[in-house]
Amino acid sequence: MPPILEARNLRKEYPGKLALKNLNLQLAPGEVFCLLGQNGAGKSTTINLFLGFIAPTAGAAFINGLEVARYPLEIKRHLAYIPENVLLYPHLTGLENLALLSSLAGFKYSESELRAYLTRAGLPPEAAGRRVGTYSKGMRQKVGIASAVAKRAQVLLLDEPTSGLDPKASNEFSELLQQLSSQGTAVFMATHDIFRAKEVGTRVGIMREGELVDVRPTTTLNANELEQLYLKHMQ
Amino acid sequence: MVRSIAHKEFLGTLRDRRFAALSLLLLALLLAATLVGRRGYATLQAERTLAQRQVNEQFHHQPGRHPHRVAHYGTFAFRPRAALSFLDGGLDAFTGAVVYLEAHQQNSVNFSPAQQAGSLIRFGELSVAFVLQTLVPLLLIFLCFGAFTEEREAGTLRLLLSQGTTLRQVAWGKIVGYGWAAALVVVPALGLAGGLLLSGEAAAGGTDRWSRLALFGLGYAVYFFVVIVGAVVVSARASQSRAALVTLLGCWMLGCLILPKATTNLGAGLFPAVTKAQLDAAVHEEAQHGINGHDPQDQRAAALKAALFKQYGVTDEKDLPVSVAGVTMAEGEAYSSRVYQQHFAALTRTYERQNALSTWASLLNPYQAIRLLSMGLAGTDFAHYVHFQQAAEAYRYRLVQHLNGLQARMGYGDKERRLDAATWRAIPVFGYQAPPLGWALGYLALPALALLAWALGLSWLGLRLVDKSATG
Repeated sequence: MPPILEARNLRKEYPGKLALKNLNLQLAPGEVFCLLGQNGAGKSTTINLFLGFIAPTAGAAFINGLEVARYPLEIKRHLAYIPENVLLYPHLTGLENLALLSSLAGFKYSESELRAYLTRAGLPPEAAGRRVGTYSKGMRQKVGIASAVAKRAQVLLLDEPTSGLDPKASNEFSELLQQLSSQGTAVFMATHDIFRAKEVGTRVGIMREGELVDVRPTTTLNANELEQLYLKHMQ
Repeated sequence: MVRSIAHKEFLGTLRDRRFAALSLLLLALLLAATLVGRRGYATLQAERTLAQRQVNEQFHHQPGRHPHRVAHYGTFAFRPRAALSFLDGGLDAFTGAVVYLEAHQQNSVNFSPAQQAGSLIRFGELSVAFVLQTLVPLLLIFLCFGAFTEEREAGTLRLLLSQGTTLRQVAWGKIVGYGWAAALVVVPALGLAGGLLLSGEAAAGGTDRWSRLALFGLGYAVYFFVVIVGAVVVSARASQSRAALVTLLGCWMLGCLILPKATTNLGAGLFPAVTKAQLDAAVHEEAQHGINGHDPQDQRAAALKAALFKQYGVTDEKDLPVSVAGVTMAEGEAYSSRVYQQHFAALTRTYERQNALSTWASLLNPYQAIRLLSMGLAGTDFAHYVHFQQAAEAYRYRLVQHLNGLQARMGYGDKERRLDAATWRAIPVFGYQAPPLGWALGYLALPALALLAWALGLSWLGLRLVDKSATG
């Protein structure tokens, strides 16, 4: 099966700093890849390169076979992005936010369809018509997930999505990811949360100072072993 | 995409209590300024119409008199207010409204509203134009300064861009959305103005007042577009909302307060104009070289008399078919009028040079472009004022020369006789026809083009700068 997300010798340098060192990576549809690393390790840089928000110094990123730098708009049809803190538009309701994001992605849905997406993402039905300014972080994350589903994204790029979520919300989020993964959506998630990575990931990678130093299938080690491996690489 | 973002901005703006409060305040100001302006217009217009009718009746109801006495009795020309002057008073508050028309003398237009008002008028009047030119841009700045910076600070810009939109589409969406919000404030006031125009009597300014109102609205639409695009571009290029706001407020102060005053002062410094007293003295001095009809010892009058004798082949004034005094008066009037016209034209040229500086400055400053365009379309600018002055002077000259002609035809001994009262009723009274829109558009082309150039330039260059902005 051809990779849905791929990095070929992907490199990003800033004056006086190497942010990403020749990353080579492939994700198949339905795969959940969790990228672990300290702050400044290059996780967000990697996501920004896949999103086309920054240009690589060398190498190339591909989404569904399309080179990101050459097709910056086309590749966005295939992916959805959920940042650490999904700050939607507080003056708009959950429904209105979802309608906006969907229409920008080229999808027009009826109100009932939008409500269905939000409910499926775990948002309480009565919250859909409320302004997002009143939402908790977890509820905003659910709107973000709903927008990814409504967009029919094949790749989900997540930047520290469970950071700051309470355990219940974090657990619900993991379940949503597993659902999406089972439907063929590839997930690339940058995180600090080793246990969540072990729980939802099919593979984990460890990044240090811009370099992917280790990649393992999550089935080959338990959470404690993963933690030990991580700490070893961080020394 | 642009429509979706525009809808989002519009909805967000409407639900923003700060903007709603500011907008309501401005809308109330605009509506109040429109109503108060219209009431002031109606009052002044009624006063001037009545006064013009009264002086016309007084002129027509003079008893049997010698025509030169009628020429000295004179009449008044009242400047009717332009139909759209209630939207933009322009220079009307400071230029005169009445001119006394008499023989031998070209009087200036007097009794401006400012002359009859308290000193507080120095601070300016609350007019629709003031609100549209100065306060609405301020509202737009407060509305737009965070267009990009707030999205960037909140991380929502990346969310928008990850949906497959471009920075330029986001910018256009915001421009359209803010445009809708601005229309909510401005359109009701212009609609009210249109309603008032429709309900009012056909005022001076003629039948083209609807075209003028349409262009007035169009001009302001382009002006607000320039302000919105400028604010969105600044926001896109700024690193923080605060920096964008400070930059935009600086631009507002420079454009609306500093540059207009600076160019006015520079114009007056580069092209100094003579004072009214200097003009009168210069005209008087030069007019002395012409025939003085009231001085029987005047050598030039004597030469004219000799020429008349020769023309009619007579040797005695009694045998002339015309009154020597009447012909002399006509010659003297023609000469003094020529002298006045030369001096007046020179003074007008000086003022025009001063104003030209402001006109050219409109290429640098859209505020100055819309100010000139607005006054010109409202019929309250310097050119319209000069048009009235010239019309009044042309009437004065025709009237006095008509009376001189009547005197000349009375023949010898005219001073001992009078003409019948019916003679004065046959003389047409002063009726001012304001210039048509086409006339005004001729000299308004530069500010109009300047405004268009700003709109096109900002759309082209500004949005290219937006393309290169940081995504977050």
